Amino acid sequence: MIQSIVKRDGRVVLYDESKIARAILKALEAANEGDASEAARVANKASKQLGLMFKDESPTIEQIQDVVERSLMETGHDEAAKKYILYRANRTRIREARTSLMKAIDEIVNVDARESNMKRDNANIDGNGSMGAMLQMGASAAKAYNNMYLLTPEQSEAYSQGDIHIHDFDFYALTETCCQIDLIKLFHGGFSTGHGFLREPQSIASYAALAAIAIQANQNDQHGGQGIPNFDYALAEGVAKSFARTYTRKLREALEDYFDTDDESELTEKAIAEAGKPGLGDVKETFDGIVADELVKSGRIDREHAYHLVSRSRQRAEKQVDRDTYQAMEGFIHNLNTMHSRAGAQTPFSSINYGTDTSPEGRMVMWNTMKALDAGLGHGETAIFPIHIFKVKEGVNYNPGDPNYDLFKYSMEVSARRLFPNYVFEDAPFNLQYYKPGHPETEVATMGCRTRVMGNVYDPTQEIAYGRGNLSFTSINLPRLAILAKGDEKAFYESLDKMMDLVARQLMDRYHIQAAKHVYNYPFLMGQGVWLDSDKLGPNDEVGEVLKHGSLSIGFIGLAETLVALYGHHHGEGKEYWDKGYAIIKHMRDFADKKAAETHMNYGILATPAEGLSGRFTRMDQKRFGKIPGVTDREYYTNSFHIPVWFPIKAYEKIQLEAPFHALCNAGHITYVELDGDTANNVEAFESVIRCMHDAGVGYGSVNHPVDRDPVCGYVGVIGDVCPRCGRRNGEPISPEKLAELRKKYPSVPKFCGCQ
Amino acid sequence: MAALQKQSVLGKDVGFERIRRITGYLVGTMDKWNDAKKAEERDRVKHM
Repeated sequence: MIQSIVKRDGRVVLYDESKIARAILKALEAANEGDASEAARVANKASKQLGLMFKDESPTIEQIQDVVERSLMETGHDEAAKKYILYRANRTRIREARTSLMKAIDEIVNVDARESNMKRDNANIDGNGSMGAMLQMGASAAKAYNNMYLLTPEQSEAYSQGDIHIHDFDFYALTETCCQIDLIKLFHGGFSTGHGFLREPQSIASYAALAAIAIQANQNDQHGGQGIPNFDYALAEGVAKSFARTYTRKLREALEDYFDTDDESELTEKAIAEAGKPGLGDVKETFDGIVADELVKSGRIDREHAYHLVSRSRQRAEKQVDRDTYQAMEGFIHNLNTMHSRAGAQTPFSSINYGTDTSPEGRMVMWNTMKALDAGLGHGETAIFPIHIFKVKEGVNYNPGDPNYDLFKYSMEVSARRLFPNYVFEDAPFNLQYYKPGHPETEVATMGCRTRVMGNVYDPTQEIAYGRGNLSFTSINLPRLAILAKGDEKAFYESLDKMMDLVARQLMDRYHIQAAKHVYNYPFLMGQGVWLDSDKLGPNDEVGEVLKHGSLSIGFIGLAETLVALYGHHHGEGKEYWDKGYAIIKHMRDFADKKAAETHMNYGILATPAEGLSGRFTRMDQKRFGKIPGVTDREYYTNSFHIPVWFPIKAYEKIQLEAPFHALCNAGHITYVELDGDTANNVEAFESVIRCMHDAGVGYGSVNHPVDRDPVCGYVGVIGDVCPRCGRRNGEPISPEKLAELRKKYPSVPKFCGCQ
Repeated sequence: MAALQKQSVLGKDVGFERIRRITGYLVGTMDKWNDAKKAEERDRVKHM
């Protein structure tokens, strides 16, 4: 008979049969298979068995529980045994979750982010600061809870095993990903962020300030990025209002100077009222003529002087508004790079779309936005946010002679220096199908990361970009499916179908959790009517119906490695492999379309913008399968359908090979081209890349090139080992005298204080 | 005396900022990148 047992924490305590009897009784009662005396009988049997197995030694808890299970089964209590086994497995899951949660928090608190890969999961959060650390702790706890209670065992297993990745899992119980904010609609009549009402803005400066506030406010309701689909159109209204006021003011001041009086507002307003509201697009001679004529009627000024005064006032007003717009855009960009208002730990992921507003006001906004982008931040640093997306459209800005062609050209100069704007191509057939001239809401806008929400299976009358975004996305580990298929194409497709089924159901489950939330859970996103049709809801209404405008995205990673695993080569290495790759993604798209038709929900395929994911899957697959050449022998999987970054290929060819995948990945796609600094700064070369993308049917593209900066001497450009301006190496100090010398030649050399 | 004072003192341990694009957005320095994306950036070749 055993005397003692070893508990989980290692302590040795006296064996107590009655404890076993109590556990058995619970199982029997749950299964309706017996009572206390039966429990005692089974417990006694278990004790005897333990005595036989362990004699004088002390069994562990696990070993005792094994014997209890067997005793229940051997005495014919199969149901009770099942209950006991399930209860035991659940306790184990909870215990392990608690342990791994505590371990994660320990790492968050104690390990320098530079050593902790987990803390660098999101490059935009400072994992070392206290707010960043708190955010990560909260995320860890949420993940543990969500895993325990919100996923089915099948989903949980697929996620933890690395068959799939559920993105933003920490927010599973709480909200959706992102939204394109229609600023025009938001600003009309003013809005609230929860603490007081903000009146409709009346100047370009307040438009810009409120735009930043809107992004920040919406960011607090969602876990992903915030986009403005109509940046040029919206801020143009601010420019228009500023111009009308400035024109009036400049004229009044000119009259006060001319007449040497203190207040000519009455005369000014009367004169302008005759002509209407002053605008940048006025036929100047006509408008100014009417104003001048009114001034002449006052009898205090002759025709020649009146015309001259009005005309000069207009000129000054134009210059002033241009300056004001530049200041406003500069402030906007600075704001978006410095406000750590997402859980106090990171700046919101912001994106702005522009390019197609041909009004003088819209053009003024775009010129100054790009000028401010070009100038950079305080010390000339490249602004990381917002992501700028230039909407390319034939007839509007793409060809010489188009009204905004000059802006398109300038955008490429700027992009060559600052990596933004990126380019969305409205003429790609899958984008063009929605386009209605004169209806900017039908222009495809994108989130900077690449999310695209345009088609609308739920409500085909509203296939627009405004007020919509992604609900959630889950990515499939394609390379793993290929590895497991061991070269059997049919087996691969079968496993892919199963996985897509699982993901589709999981996305729907997550939607149902989101759907049960109320408007009051989203004070800004829904409370202020930012999300499409949320303005039709009351504060206590559930949001399920309007959420259906959003997208449910099935993502993937590593098409290149998948093809190597299945066929020995990736899709950059020959047409037959490319065809195989296209077939796989087409198959996925067909599945998504089918699901969308069945459910009237906006299922789509996403070329996942993988960050943490690109290492996670690879690490797990390396552990499980070892280093398979061309598949798991690197530390990452290639992004989505991209040709591998290390594969030598011409820009033109890469674009041709990747473009057809844009059409398939309706939930989001992008193609990058890597250029060296010299090519990038050659505007013709840059433009030829963009035009090549356009012609190939790319939907969203961008050019990467090295942008380095020496914080000490302020040089911005390509830096190898040695800074071309001051000659220092990475981490090397330089004398103040040398810096002062350089400042004479390069005024942009900052006053360096050494406290980075 | 003057020679002693002329020391190199500014910018010790200050590295170059290397702005790179990571999954669509820019990050100022690469120390915040996770290991997988760092490895990928190292492997990137230029397309002519």
